[in-house]
Amino acid sequence: MKYIEVVEKNKKLYDSVKNEKVYNIYILSNLTLNRLKDYLEYQLRVEGINCNIVLGTYDNVVQESSKVGNYDLVIIFWELSNIIDGLNYKIELYNDVQFEDLLNQVNSNIDLVLKFLENTPLVFVNKFSYLPFSNSHMKSSKLENFSSQLNQHLMNKHQTNVKFINMNDIIARLGLDNSLDLRYYYSSKALYTNKFYEAYSKSIKPFVLSIKGKNKKALIFDCDNTLWKGIVGEDGFENIEMSLKTKDGSIFAEIQSIALDLYNKGILIGLCSKNNFSDVERVIKSHPDILLKEEYLAVIKINWDNKANNLRSISKELNIGLDSIVFIDDSPFEINLIREELPEIKVLQVPDQLYNYPKMLRENLGLFYNLSNTDEDRQKTIMYKKQVIRENEKNKYTNIEDYLASLEMKITVFLNNNSLIPRISQLTQKTNQFNLTTIRYTEAEISKFVLSDSYSVFAISVTDKFGDSGVTGLCIVKIDKNEKTVIIDTFLLSCRIIGRNIEFVFIDYIIDYLKKEGVSVIEANYLKTTKNQQVEEFYENNSFLLIRNLPGSKYYKLEVDKYIPKNINYIRIENG
Amino acid sequence: MDKRIKTIMSIIFEIPVDEINEKTSKETVKNWDSLKQMDLVVALEEDFSIEFNDDEIITLDSFSAIKKILGKKMDEIN
Repeated sequence: MKYIEVVEKNKKLYDSVKNEKVYNIYILSNLTLNRLKDYLEYQLRVEGINCNIVLGTYDNVVQESSKVGNYDLVIIFWELSNIIDGLNYKIELYNDVQFEDLLNQVNSNIDLVLKFLENTPLVFVNKFSYLPFSNSHMKSSKLENFSSQLNQHLMNKHQTNVKFINMNDIIARLGLDNSLDLRYYYSSKALYTNKFYEAYSKSIKPFVLSIKGKNKKALIFDCDNTLWKGIVGEDGFENIEMSLKTKDGSIFAEIQSIALDLYNKGILIGLCSKNNFSDVERVIKSHPDILLKEEYLAVIKINWDNKANNLRSISKELNIGLDSIVFIDDSPFEINLIREELPEIKVLQVPDQLYNYPKMLRENLGLFYNLSNTDEDRQKTIMYKKQVIRENEKNKYTNIEDYLASLEMKITVFLNNNSLIPRISQLTQKTNQFNLTTIRYTEAEISKFVLSDSYSVFAISVTDKFGDSGVTGLCIVKIDKNEKTVIIDTFLLSCRIIGRNIEFVFIDYIIDYLKKEGVSVIEANYLKTTKNQQVEEFYENNSFLLIRNLPGSKYYKLEVDKYIPKNINYIRIENG
Repeated sequence: MDKRIKTIMSIIFEIPVDEINEKTSKETVKNWDSLKQMDLVVALEEDFSIEFNDDEIITLDSFSAIKKILGKKMDEIN
């Protein structure tokens, strides 16, 4: 982020945090760090922390540490190369005695400073880094040697209020050239770039969030293509991947391992997914490759309700704030739904390039950092689970119409379209969940329907402000001209577009179309499979009359005049 | 470009934009010390995607000088 933006945003952010309790930070350094102050201020204000950051006077670390007053956090930013003027080059010419003398002197300064700061609630100390002045020798430089001995000394201090910041790690992530601006080093003792200040601020933020109780406590996963590769309801139990056996599977194995590690550290792990409960249950109970088994899961919400509602009830059941939850999903639709409805929740999207997924998750692990608790109790999840069972309540009705309306959805209908035959056939073969009859058709059969007078094939594509779903819905009707009856043979939607009320607009359209064709009675049926329970009552809910209810199948009739359209006005529909 | 320079100067030195004119310099701005000078240089560099060298930095001590040097640098790029 550009410096000017940071300064500007800081001003605005101040108004939003000024009523919060002030968090006082003091930075002691032997460098000029004025812009670090702005970057750190920004990173903390964004999280709602009203920080007041004071920069100590230049190169006065020991003296000032002796008189730091009531600060919540003191940061010791001691730059190795400037411990004494020109150390980075001078040290290479030192003899052993000089080297030892200086080492002892700096070590005792460290001891002094930490002693002075004994009563400060939290102290961050940068580990010394030789990287800014490293050379390309095979043999380690004296500077490198010096820094590792100082760090050894630091590591032997076991003062509970002191945390160490890994400078090498921060510099490595950015690269030296992006971290250093040497132009002002020799004149003003400023060494680092704005990018570095930003990265440094981000890397210490988790500690501060933790101490302020703002760290995340639960990680909730979607399932399909988030916890494993594939869609269990479509591809089947046997075909989802989450092991080293396949390229993509190994990525999901890594994700599940990271989640398990978080579980071991006391983070609550949960599932929130639109699926048939039994499909997912079978995976977490008995899939041979699953690492994140049922016993590790604090909460499981597998249903067809909208995810914002589910996450609300997860928050309630686990008794943690929405702002303590991180949610991961692969669908931009779900991600945006949560961003708009529940902005308190931190949402992470599975990256387009799957190989970036574990890296993305690792980079966000700081969110869960817990300063006070290093040895967490595994019982936590079990405890929460019981609470979930106790407090589990019926999902409350919440209106997501506003969100759906904001999507600017548009349906395009293609009637008897030759060029779509392969895709239409594929839809009948692959769609399991939102599929009323689950009749599979080959391309040849679809082709016959498209050309025949006795059939009408309606395919739809859906676009919204995020993009185009492609051809994702289908209705095939069989028309008997002589007997003036019409049967809905197939009605299905791909799982990519369910949960958005598309089906209502689509059925409205079909009925209206047939009505205009002079049809007065429409027949339809529902054929039960293990996957399509979510549409069990679709026809009942759309004015159809149940006339026969057999085990595994239901038969309906609709008198077209009695049809009550849903008239959803925020989804446009037009002919393609 | 003038407007953007003024905006940046106003944010760095915490003075109103309309108080910045051709006469604005290190001498007339109370806040303009060597640290602020550094912030200003870095901010201008980020904003205009350029980099000043040492000689140029020394001369960036007034609004008109900034305008002149920045203009020259932008011309070189285009």
